[in-house]
Amino acid sequence: MVLVGGRGTRLGKITKTTAKPAVTFGGKYKLIDFVLSNLSNSAINTLGIITQYEPYELLSYIEHGSTWDLDVNEAGVSFLTPYTSASGELWQKGTAHSVYQHFRFIDQYDPDYVLILSGDHVYKMDYNKLIDEHIANQADVTISTFKVNDDPSRYGILDLDKKDLVVSFEEKPENPKSKLASMGVYVFNREVLRTLLKEGDNSNFDFGNDIIPLALKSDLKVYGYRFKGYFRDVGTIDSLYKANMDILDKPHYLKAYDYSDFPILTKSSNLPPHHIMGDNKIVNSLISDGCLINGEIKHSILSSGILINKGCKIKDSIIHSNVKIGANSIIEKAIIVENSVILANTILKFKEVTVVDNDYLWKMGEDDE
Amino acid sequence: MMNKKMFAIVDATFKVNLEQLTLHRMPGALPFSGKYRLIDFTLSNIRNSNIINVAIFPYGNYRSLQDHVGSGKRWDLDRRRDGLFILPPKNLYIPPEEMITFQRMFEHIEFFKRSTQDYAVITSANIVWNIDFHKCLDEHIKSKADVTEVMYEHIRLKTFIISKKLLIEYIETYDSLEYKTMLDLVEKAPNLNIQIYKHDSYTRTIDDTFNYLKSNLDMLKFDIGRTIFREDRPIYSKEKTAPPAKYLNNATITNSMISSGSIIDGTVINSVLGRDVKVKKGSVIKNSYIMSNCVIEENANINFTILDKQTIVKRDTILEGSLRDPYVTQKEQIVSYFDSLRVLLVASESYPFIKTGGLADVIGSLSRNLARKGVDTTVVLPLYRKIRKEFESVIKSDFTKTIIYDEERYKVRIYTYRYNKVKYYFIDSFSFFDNDLIYGLENDADRFAFFNKAVIELLDDLDPFDLIHIHDWHTSLIPLLLDNSPHKGTPTLLTIHNIDYQGVAEKDIIKKIGISDFIFKDDHINFLEIGINTATKLSTVSPTYKEELKYEYYGKNLTYSLFKRERDFYGILNGISSLFNPEKDKALKKTYSVNSFEDKYINKLYLQEKMGLPINKDAFVIGMVTRIVEQKGFDLILSSFDSLLENTNIQFVLLGSGDQKYIDELLKLEERHPNQIKLNIGYDATNPNYIYGGADVFLMPSRFEPCGLGQMIALKYGTLPIVRRTGGLNDTITRYDHLTDKGNGFTFGNYDAVEMKNTILSAYDLYKSNKDVWNILLKRAMKSDNSLVKSTQKYIELYKMITKN
Repeated sequence: MVLVGGRGTRLGKITKTTAKPAVTFGGKYKLIDFVLSNLSNSAINTLGIITQYEPYELLSYIEHGSTWDLDVNEAGVSFLTPYTSASGELWQKGTAHSVYQHFRFIDQYDPDYVLILSGDHVYKMDYNKLIDEHIANQADVTISTFKVNDDPSRYGILDLDKKDLVVSFEEKPENPKSKLASMGVYVFNREVLRTLLKEGDNSNFDFGNDIIPLALKSDLKVYGYRFKGYFRDVGTIDSLYKANMDILDKPHYLKAYDYSDFPILTKSSNLPPHHIMGDNKIVNSLISDGCLINGEIKHSILSSGILINKGCKIKDSIIHSNVKIGANSIIEKAIIVENSVILANTILKFKEVTVVDNDYLWKMGEDDE
Repeated sequence: MMNKKMFAIVDATFKVNLEQLTLHRMPGALPFSGKYRLIDFTLSNIRNSNIINVAIFPYGNYRSLQDHVGSGKRWDLDRRRDGLFILPPKNLYIPPEEMITFQRMFEHIEFFKRSTQDYAVITSANIVWNIDFHKCLDEHIKSKADVTEVMYEHIRLKTFIISKKLLIEYIETYDSLEYKTMLDLVEKAPNLNIQIYKHDSYTRTIDDTFNYLKSNLDMLKFDIGRTIFREDRPIYSKEKTAPPAKYLNNATITNSMISSGSIIDGTVINSVLGRDVKVKKGSVIKNSYIMSNCVIEENANINFTILDKQTIVKRDTILEGSLRDPYVTQKEQIVSYFDSLRVLLVASESYPFIKTGGLADVIGSLSRNLARKGVDTTVVLPLYRKIRKEFESVIKSDFTKTIIYDEERYKVRIYTYRYNKVKYYFIDSFSFFDNDLIYGLENDADRFAFFNKAVIELLDDLDPFDLIHIHDWHTSLIPLLLDNSPHKGTPTLLTIHNIDYQGVAEKDIIKKIGISDFIFKDDHINFLEIGINTATKLSTVSPTYKEELKYEYYGKNLTYSLFKRERDFYGILNGISSLFNPEKDKALKKTYSVNSFEDKYINKLYLQEKMGLPINKDAFVIGMVTRIVEQKGFDLILSSFDSLLENTNIQFVLLGSGDQKYIDELLKLEERHPNQIKLNIGYDATNPNYIYGGADVFLMPSRFEPCGLGQMIALKYGTLPIVRRTGGLNDTITRYDHLTDKGNGFTFGNYDAVEMKNTILSAYDLYKSNKDVWNILLKRAMKSDNSLVKSTQKYIELYKMITKN
């Protein structure tokens, strides 16, 4: 079950009209590509996608899941949207509640285990290893964890014993007991999950805040799985920017260019390769298909279909698809969102990473006058 | 307009020769513009013209096409009704034609009958363009045409609009009418209303490496690129996933297209790069097309080059081609700096030491040109009595060896001689080679088996070779012997000059050369077959002959053996020496060049005088210089020339020797037309160049022709060849096309006397009616480049490919 309901309010203008999983990442990807590719690469092809906020874009993006080879008979991708049941439940009240509401979907496939995932994380992971360990431990619940490098108090922190049994779990603790944080990736035995969801307070409830503490209280066997790879929750503009730049600065993290056996799949844009015109210095940057470039690009990530006119200087920036930038503009440390049009001779030099969209540009224009 | 729906036929049946690039793929499957394949353009045009019923007719191995096209989903062609059909050939023994034949369509007549659309567009898979076929159809209907041919400027695109009804008529009568293809129909069918639709935006047919590189580079011109990659009519392709292209700290890019997954840390100028290409620091790529997954290592320098997929260019390597003649690699090739290459050529003859046929010329000139190009070249020959007699004074006795053959010890003496930088070794054996004859002795098999064995023993005394290049059956046991010798692992290239001579012998030969663990298929052994099975790589003397050998009509009993080695089999056209030059040829009455070709007629008068024909400047003189044997098409000549020569303006001269049976018949023909035919029987007797210089056309109606040199010489002398489209003739002669004035000669396809006669007559008509066009063809012919330098370069590239991989 892939939870993509989150609104991602902390991403501000970037998610003004899109769900967080549909946010552009690394030039040509969307955040949701990572979880779908992980599933595809793990040969798991029965999934329900639980959507809530701005579902249209995601729906039309994912379609039948053929991009990820998930369009198979007897399984495939199902979109689970909020509905009104006979008992009058109207809206999903939290991540866990939405799974509860769609338990009939789970039952129809009669699985032994249910894998709960989020649609907005950046990582490459073979879920089979997690599930294998879950089975080997004869666990009821297994929580996948990663090692936090920065401030652990932003995450749900787990304390594991020598056998990897979970001793404690605290959401955003002030004094974290370890550096192991929950990735929001869980494996449940199906019946255990059913029981937990039923027992859960039928009000506002989700996995991190309610279900996991409940499981720990219920004397179930809750294990932690130590994921060794690169993992980023890109919940804020700053973390989104940093994770993007990791592809440039720390290529060994995500290993985006070492993809033959574990590719991140994304929907084709059907654009010709990008065309770099004139004589240009392109340094330490990523550029996607369909761009027409006639300027200097340094330490930046460009999505597809971007037009950059002569004399532009782009530095330390992330530019989303179909942005047009007029001649002699200078851009530094900006995230320019989809379809923005920047007039010639515009100077956008920021000290802090700043998101720029058409409204911002419009306002800037007014201020000038 | 009413019901004006179309279905589409995509013609992928014909071969085009893009050297290594089309060795294992059909032209439609060629990568283009970084992430496309050629067929994407035609399929996208079809999709953008709302055509939903499409049949692709592929040629031979269409796996890569099938893989790329899949269900047709990318072009909205995976449909419940209609959709995309790949219709393979049912009869694999029909060699490919210039374009799809009605016969080929007849094999799938159901498709045509079931189609509900009233019109068909027939188009091909190797065109780069963006066209709305509905505009063609509108014109077709408006002009009430029976057939509309689509052209761009003066380029024919093998694209036609025709009604379903008429098309089916021609398909069903394919075996009773003389029209084999739509091209025939447009050219020959009377009473048809044929219209031309001129497409007016950028179009290029990809039929050689020049056009391929040129049109890829054209996409870098903004105005051209935009007419092909239009937003309103997009080009669709099967998409692979790769991350965005990545630029590192040393990247400098000027006007280039770069595809996903590439990692660039060097300089790229005016080039197109496919997916996942790695360009390392210090390397420079200019004016080139680099296919996916290539690696260009540090400080390599590449200009006007096409790198096929997964080529690795090692550090410091310099690759330099030209726009007209790009440097081309083969898939997965490793190209490294060309330091030195040491090659051994082993053959039964080599000019100037011993010559009975074309093989000697090839070995003599190839070895000389290899040495000139810096290849350390050695040739080994048997010391025939004739060589001893003529060269006794110059060749030097070097040392002796003992060779064990059939459990007996034979003493051989090794002679050496350095000729034009080529090191020659001659193996002298009183028992085997001291004879006036070279071939045709009872013990030929023993003689050459012994020769092969002696060559292997000789290797012990020489510095090691990077490669051993062997020729025809006389040297075909060498790979087998190598494998059982201390020199095991030395790569070999076997070149087949003529598949008719195979060296069939008793099986005890194998025991005699000292090999015990050989598995016999039957009571005899076949030298050539053993060579084909054991050589590292194989080649033959033209790309078309290489293709033809896949068919039993040409490949005979070895078709299957060759088929198994298809992936290791190459076709390299021979070339002619620069001594063939009408500007300097002393055998001519008057020398001439492209700029003074008007003087050529003086040589015609001289030829007529010399042969005793009526001297007439306006007569149309057909020349032939050939062995007089069945292969050369004499059956066609004997059965059609009586009727051809009813036209008393036509004269025919023939120089040659050969089969008495044909000579007798030809002499009778000469008697019947004493004022029009003159024969000069006796091939070696005279220098034939006065015929090459004096005739108007040069006839080669061969049943098969592995390479053929006559047509190349004729071209050089501005004597337009009339040939059957087979083997090397097909690779060197492009037929005159009256719609575009292209071509350098006249061709016909079927081995058929009437077709030959009609082709000669159409040449005659052009000669009589349009001297301007004739002279354009003549000049174009004289400029054709079939030089030895070119073919030697191809052999060197093949040698490098074999030794570096």
